[in-house]
Amino acid sequence: MKKEGYVRIERMTRSMRIIHWVNAISMIVAVITGLYIAAPYYQTFIADPAVDKYVMAWNRWGHFIVAIIFDVTSIIVFYLAFATRFLKTKPYEKDVPTEGNIKQFFEVLLNLLTLNRRKKFDSSQLDSFNSIFFTIFHLLLLWMLLTGLQLYVHGLASGISSIGAWWPWMLHLFTDWTIPVSAWLNGSSANIASIMDVRISHHSTMWYIIVWVVFHIYYQVWRTIFWQEGDISIAFGGDKYIKVDEKA
Amino acid sequence: MGMDRQESVKSLFTAKSAKVDTKRGDAYYEKLYDQCRTRLDELKKLAPISNRMDFSKSIEEEGVDRRDFLKWASATTAMLMLPASFTPLVAEAAVLMNRVPVVWIELQDCAGNSEALLRSDGPQIDEIILDIISLEFHETLMAPSGHQAEKQLEEAIEHFKGKYLLFVEGSVPMGIDGHFGTIGAKGETFIDHLHRLSEDAAAIVAVGSCATFGGIPAAAPNPTDAKGVMDVVQGKPIINIPACPANPSNMVGVILHYVLTGQVPELDSLLRPKFAFGYRIHDNCERRAHFDAGEYVEEWGDEGAKNNFCLYKVGCKGPMTFNNCSIIRYNEGVNWPVGVGRGCIGCSEPDFWDKYAYERPMSNANIKAPTGGVEKTVDEFGLGLLTAAGIGIAIHAAASVAAGKKSEENA
Ligand code: HEM
Ligand code: SF4
Ligand code: SF4
Repeated sequence: MKKEGYVRIERMTRSMRIIHWVNAISMIVAVITGLYIAAPYYQTFIADPAVDKYVMAWNRWGHFIVAIIFDVTSIIVFYLAFATRFLKTKPYEKDVPTEGNIKQFFEVLLNLLTLNRRKKFDSSQLDSFNSIFFTIFHLLLLWMLLTGLQLYVHGLASGISSIGAWWPWMLHLFTDWTIPVSAWLNGSSANIASIMDVRISHHSTMWYIIVWVVFHIYYQVWRTIFWQEGDISIAFGGDKYIKVDEKA
Repeated sequence: MGMDRQESVKSLFTAKSAKVDTKRGDAYYEKLYDQCRTRLDELKKLAPISNRMDFSKSIEEEGVDRRDFLKWASATTAMLMLPASFTPLVAEAAVLMNRVPVVWIELQDCAGNSEALLRSDGPQIDEIILDIISLEFHETLMAPSGHQAEKQLEEAIEHFKGKYLLFVEGSVPMGIDGHFGTIGAKGETFIDHLHRLSEDAAAIVAVGSCATFGGIPAAAPNPTDAKGVMDVVQGKPIINIPACPANPSNMVGVILHYVLTGQVPELDSLLRPKFAFGYRIHDNCERRAHFDAGEYVEEWGDEGAKNNFCLYKVGCKGPMTFNNCSIIRYNEGVNWPVGVGRGCIGCSEPDFWDKYAYERPMSNANIKAPTGGVEKTVDEFGLGLLTAAGIGIAIHAAASVAAGKKSEENA
């Protein structure tokens, strides 16, 4: 599709888009199964004895499978972002509070707040505002990973696992600190942090993520409609458009 | 963050799993065996302290035969995670329990732990052992009172300096300089009382949820600023035996371990003996198949309850609770809470009253929101957040559309 007076700019490569949608689908599955794990909201109707049906077990299985997908994609994404030239614009370069970045951050924010009456920044590439916004998301996801793995290791109290004793050992090493941090995040007034704090934090962080997603979708649609640069197709076709004279 | 707080965070970072390594090789166990042998021989030379009840006679009188006693000894050996070859030593140690002096004090408590070991259905071996331990002082159980009792305490701590095990039941009220709780004619605060008696103790055993983590007195809003022993006393070996009440078998296990080895058993990051608190309730629960199947008791007394379905939806916290009651049960293995059809309330975990005991799944319970203020369920909190975001978006969208229309008109 060609648009008069516009140039096409590639923003997301095929692999980036795959990662984006894998994340989105995993998220939906994690929320659906996670809420079932929290408080089973549908009944099992199948008139089989307990040993033949695994409704909770399947939900937990699904939750853990998307958890593994999250874990693995996170590792890949972090590797690609920091150690390779996979991303054209490095998000962390956009996050550091340099003068240019701070200015851009507020310009983009102003653009949103003035309902697009003011637009004084280069919208062809990743901007500081969205970059910070995505970084927050990655931190939330990382927190889900760490608290999730902490919840998971409680089931490995024997200290052994099918893949060896190193696995629970490593999970304890990397995630036990989430117990006091969760208590702090929950505003707990107790003397001693408890593992339930982790569960509370895992659950409430889900809501922060959902709110994040809702705003994310709204903002991308809003940009598409008001900037008229086809931002929404970044996630689908990989490209957006930018006015030629603006670029020049 | 105080020093002890930092220590506890550090211990969290370095915590290994709750597992006790039971495969340490023959050399290790042979050495341990010899150590225990020597210790028992030494203890044997000592005369029984004040309690002159004879263990062998006691169990005979209670109608426990030798076979049952040996069965108990082998089960206890397994509970302490020692090889079967230690069984005779454990049996011997049981007989020698009255050689280790115990001072038992009560602070801000309901005496439920004392009750637990007194009121079992019929004295079984664990209870008999607790009968014959050399209990030098126990306010609720002893005959003397007032000045006489105080004198007895002073004498005991003087006489057994550095040797006695100090059992503490109940939390320590720290508010108004400790004046929420005082004891004796001099009005000594619980804080001072605890500090004074810990000074010369060989080790401190905190029994029950209150003495370990503050328990019910520490529940929000914690008016007395109640704390557990480990948050008050420093520089002493502390063993926590939480649960409400602590299981007598675990108390016996700890004393036996001490009599046998002269050492504190292996502890987890919350100072709980791993032999007792290294198990998750949920992983050893007879209703677990129903959990995995998605078969839950929806309300008390429904069809599911009649069929022993899982108690998760009526608030069972077995998935977040470490304790061995799903294995050894209470009252000499008669039954345990989930067995009688009510969920686990996480009584062996810190802050259990506020964070575990609300008899509904966590996500349906009112918990203080991260922002403080009104108690809400996490889902109400989340939906509130989502609604706020939705309203914000709706306003922004409407304004954007209006602004867009205007600029079109102007163009
Ligand atoms: C966006 C991602 C995720 C969402 C929205 C999510 C959501 C949830 C929710 C709502 C619960 C129920 C908590 C409660 O009891 O109230 C839960 C439980 C749990 N989640 Fe997640 N989660 C996510 C990612 C993960 C990850 C990455 C892991 C990593 C292993 C994980 C592991 C667990 C575990 C182990 C439980 C407890 C399950 C059980 O004990 O049966 N979650 N999750
Ligand atoms: S009753 Fe409690 S401990 Fe038992 S399976 Fe259900 S949730 Fe787990
Ligand atoms: S089932 Fe739970 S609440 Fe009940 S005694 Fe055991 S650990 Fe405590």
